[in-house]
Amino acid sequence: MSISRRKFLGWLGVAGISTVLDKRVYAASNKHFSGYPDSGGVLYDNVLCIGCRDCENGCNQVNELPQPDKPFDDLSILDNKRRTSPKAYTVVNRYDGIKDAKGPVYRKIQCNHCLEPACASSCFVKAYTKTETGAVTYDSSVCVGCRYCMIACPFEIPTYEYDKALTPRIMKCTMCYPRLLKGKLPGCVQLCPTEALTFGKRTQLIKTARERIRKYPDRYIDHIYGEHEMGGTSWLYLSGVPFRDLGMREDLGITPAPELTKGALGSVPIIVGLWPAVLTGMYALSKRKEKIAREEKEEAVATALAKASAEAEEKLSKVLTEAEVKNQTAIEGAVKKALGKVADNQTKEGT
Amino acid sequence: MKKRRSLIGLAGILLTVTIVFIYTGRAHLAQEPSGYSKGKRADIVTIDIMSKFGPLERSEVMFLHDLHTETLEKKKKDCTTCHLMEKEDPSLPRPARLSLKFKRHKDLDKQEVMDIYHNECMACHKEMSDEGEKAGPIEACGECHLKETNVSSSQQPIILDKSLHFRHSEANKDTETGEGDCALCHHEYNKSTKKLFYAKGKEGSCRYCHKMVTEENRISVRLASHQACVDCHRKKLDQNKGKTSGGEHVAGPVKCSGCHDLKNQQEIERVKDVPRIKRNQPDIVLIQANGRNPDKQKSTLKMNPVPFDHRAHEQYNDTCIECHHESLDSCTKTCHTQRGSRDGADIQLERAMHQIDAKISCMGCHETKQQDKNCAGCHTFMAKNRKHIESTCLVCHMTPSGGGPENGQKPEVFAGMLLQTRSVLKDTYSDEDIPEKIIIGELMYQYGPVEFPHRKIVKTLVSNIVDNRLAGYFHAEKGTICQACHHNSPETKKPPNCTSCHGRPFDEKNPLRPGLKAAYHQKCIGCHEEMNIEKPSPTGCADCHKIVGLPQL
Repeated sequence: MSISRRKFLGWLGVAGISTVLDKRVYAASNKHFSGYPDSGGVLYDNVLCIGCRDCENGCNQVNELPQPDKPFDDLSILDNKRRTSPKAYTVVNRYDGIKDAKGPVYRKIQCNHCLEPACASSCFVKAYTKTETGAVTYDSSVCVGCRYCMIACPFEIPTYEYDKALTPRIMKCTMCYPRLLKGKLPGCVQLCPTEALTFGKRTQLIKTARERIRKYPDRYIDHIYGEHEMGGTSWLYLSGVPFRDLGMREDLGITPAPELTKGALGSVPIIVGLWPAVLTGMYALSKRKEKIAREEKEEAVATALAKASAEAEEKLSKVLTEAEVKNQTAIEGAVKKALGKVADNQTKEGT
Repeated sequence: MKKRRSLIGLAGILLTVTIVFIYTGRAHLAQEPSGYSKGKRADIVTIDIMSKFGPLERSEVMFLHDLHTETLEKKKKDCTTCHLMEKEDPSLPRPARLSLKFKRHKDLDKQEVMDIYHNECMACHKEMSDEGEKAGPIEACGECHLKETNVSSSQQPIILDKSLHFRHSEANKDTETGEGDCALCHHEYNKSTKKLFYAKGKEGSCRYCHKMVTEENRISVRLASHQACVDCHRKKLDQNKGKTSGGEHVAGPVKCSGCHDLKNQQEIERVKDVPRIKRNQPDIVLIQANGRNPDKQKSTLKMNPVPFDHRAHEQYNDTCIECHHESLDSCTKTCHTQRGSRDGADIQLERAMHQIDAKISCMGCHETKQQDKNCAGCHTFMAKNRKHIESTCLVCHMTPSGGGPENGQKPEVFAGMLLQTRSVLKDTYSDEDIPEKIIIGELMYQYGPVEFPHRKIVKTLVSNIVDNRLAGYFHAEKGTICQACHHNSPETKKPPNCTSCHGRPFDEKNPLRPGLKAAYHQKCIGCHEEMNIEKPSPTGCADCHKIVGLPQL
């Protein structure tokens, strides 16, 4: 093998650049998802909210959740800050003593039904679906219980039935998807006495929210929470006090969650699909190189051998010839000598 | 071997953490000023004069002025310990006063100013410390030049309202004539003689000349007020030494907190019926834009002029400056003319009077009055920047019924005549025209019908504002008060009811119109909250409803 460390790192760099290039291509292709057309949503206006918990009651009944320990008209429960649970898809919290607020301020918490949900992008079995109604639904039949969605959700909404040993599910607000299909309102919206919850098309809700801010600039913070947060959510919020004072995250940015992981995850197929080919190719190349080298070497050896043997043969033949000549001369000498001797003897005998 | 190494490493980390902890703790202790009371103070003077000569080398000094005044007082020393007296100089436009600067009259040179502070401050501190008394820092730089402090300023600006003005003129009353000595504070500047002089009938707020920062020869209002007020108080204090007029203080405050501490401000006695300040101002004005050609007898304006009760508005406001922000001259004469002028920052008369988000304009001020709990129940729900209906314009822009300046009548006489004819709220429709009770039973699922005490509510709304002149003028029509609930329809004896417009919620054709349930709850609860009506409470469903069933889903 002739891949050096330096070369390997170089290839890795090229692979990295290719993922960046990939992102640019996407950005230039005006591939921007701004939600399904005419999808529904809910506008929560905490200036109109009176903290009666009727929304919690409606949610509980519509979704057939277990009855809570304290009844819904017991408002002492608002003394503590709560979060969503497997038994409550939505909760209302009360915030006292906020600067410049006349009295207590309320905040309703439930799934925000992101336009591009983080839960859905984190789920590898596609248990989550962003439906055309605007609702993000969950299918427990395919869920493997990895709870990646709970980690992925920036609003900490999905909850898990830890107390169920055999069939635990993720529990979260469905925007009453089954009711929406029947043309009914979500349970919480249906029971809200003051229309602090407005149901409608998301595009219209944004217009309504803007109009409220325009008409009452002193009563509202000039911001619609959820219009752009995390790429936009189907649940929108208007508030009379800064959202951070209600514990709502203002650091989320406007990039949808899938966008954040797309670059890295998008390179997975490249790496998984392309890299074996690339590596095999590189392997084959280096193999081929080796083969050629070997062949060349063999040829050279053969030539050298041939040359050497030829030389040796020549030398041998030369030596042989020389030896033959030498032998011949020796023989001739010997013969001559013998002949001479014989002649001498003959002469001796003759004489 | 490995184990031992990791133990040594752990010990090293612990040691570093401890050292850092001790070090920072020490540093914190060192910065804590001795003798400072924690929290908020009204006497913080930030000494950052060196920034005049370039960037600061050390952090500025938080100087607690009252702390020093009190300490000096105990040692029978006075202001001159730190502040130098000016020399009497005929070239000065006014009599000599104490310099507001520490131990100098002018900031001449960086080194000199720095030396004055360092030498003089520390000399005094040392002297005290040698006497065995608690004294300020002597050598450690960081004890004065603190990086961070645990005291913050609670300084409140003091407003010389008409009550305080009256107390000042009473205190300086001439025993013979019985008139206040206005010249003590009010002055004008004579450019040719370069002297200050008193011009009777030309008095005005200090702020008209003394602006936020010093301009040419006019010192800033901050310097002017401290120089004039504190110096005068100090002199009075000296004059009246030993006198105690029935426990009351014999002179105004000389300490920072005396004027700038909120609690002290609230303790300043407020004179209830302050006699009118007389400065040749009119009782009644006819506000009309100056036409382009003042020689023209006939006004070219389309709009009716506004009769304005100047005298009444003097009572409603604490200071003249609330309306007359730049001078006591007429608004319309040179500044806010019909077309605007450079003197009035091109703000036309229309804007000066109607700009609803500027408190200084007529309508802006009237709008703030609507925050009163008797008004807020209805007015909070009226959109800001809404288009006002024509009839409300005519409350001020009264339609003349003869007379007027065009017919040779004096403007103020005409204005007075108009004001007398202005109608005011007395009562609404007679009882038989107001239904006593209304049963609201359109939406009965979970809750039974609501018995709505209609007439009682109408009567309460009327009685709440019947004594308010401003509200009285704008609710003079009998049907106006009904608009509180029966909005967006003409003022009539028989207005449409809620169900005429509000019905099914989330109507796509009328997305901004609440459904019937929300209309009731928003209006009733919203109004009760704004008017601080605790019963029925917003979440006390049973306060209004009888619960008869389960929620309809």
